[in-house]
Amino acid sequence: MIRTLFEFVDAFPSSVAWRESLNGYVYLLTAHVVSMGLVAGVISYWDMRLAGMALKWIPVSKVQSGLFPWLFAGTAVNAGTGIMLVYSQPMRYYPNFWFWLKMGLLVVVAANAAYFHLSIEKTVDQWDSDPVAPLKARVAGYVSLAFWAGVIVTGRMTAYSGLVPQWWIDLGLSN
Amino acid sequence: MLQPFFQWMGGLSFSQFFLTTVWPTPIIQCIHLIAVSVFAGALLIVDLRLLGRGLTSSSIPKLAGAAQPWLVWSFVVLVLSGMPQMMSTALKEYYSPFFWWKMEMVGLGLIVTFVVRKVIASKEEGHFGPVWPKVVGITSISLWTSVTIGARLIGLLS
Repeated sequence: MIRTLFEFVDAFPSSVAWRESLNGYVYLLTAHVVSMGLVAGVISYWDMRLAGMALKWIPVSKVQSGLFPWLFAGTAVNAGTGIMLVYSQPMRYYPNFWFWLKMGLLVVVAANAAYFHLSIEKTVDQWDSDPVAPLKARVAGYVSLAFWAGVIVTGRMTAYSGLVPQWWIDLGLSN
Repeated sequence: MLQPFFQWMGGLSFSQFFLTTVWPTPIIQCIHLIAVSVFAGALLIVDLRLLGRGLTSSSIPKLAGAAQPWLVWSFVVLVLSGMPQMMSTALKEYYSPFFWWKMEMVGLGLIVTFVVRKVIASKEEGHFGPVWPKVVGITSISLWTSVTIGARLIGLLS
């Protein structure tokens, strides 16, 4: 079903146009990497504050209000260019092991952020100014740091589509 | 003038190792990208603060002082992980205009970040007036963004 969807998108005239554009891929990938610097840079400081590794003198709510507008702006550009990269070459990404691993890690990152927002953050008033946040918040920070690092690594590895486990090759997705 | 030097660098067994073995290059590239992220974070929180944005509840000197070790050590990792990549494709880099663009922007970026910005960020807000911190902040962001663009274009257009 997923393959059918990717093949369907692959045949869109606008997908073909992006794919055959001389510099479209260059612009998209460059914007994706620059916005990655913004997203990863900002979120690392948010995570490090939660984990108790940095900015301990600034209340958590102030770190959030100061950094999140930049995080959201960077995420909009990063996600937009990322979606366009896949849209322009869906059948290049469909059989790519690292691409799917990256998507899986992004799901974990999003779930971790949602868990923090819906549960741990509700009590932030009680520990907002504490230099070291409660254990649950610190764990959320460490998990986010680790999985964002994984997202960056797997993102870079999508260029190495041949360096994959044998069981992935045996699935024959690229056939 | 530097062509023989780049040719010599590319011929070293260390460079050939990275060129001919499979995993070291992607591993070192991943380490390089993680260091880019740490460097970008340490850079941005201070640059945004100089622009009057971001973590405005903290004083500039305190923020800059806290970010400095991350900035320095991530730059050390960037250099150490960038060298093998550059050496293994030395002649490609030599003939790439984007490589030289990147190096020029790195040079300017280092001067702005570790000399000019360090002075500006060492004083409390208002010491240098309302304009200079913003000029330095926007210059720093622009220079390091140019470095990133140049770096990406080496791989894509060279």
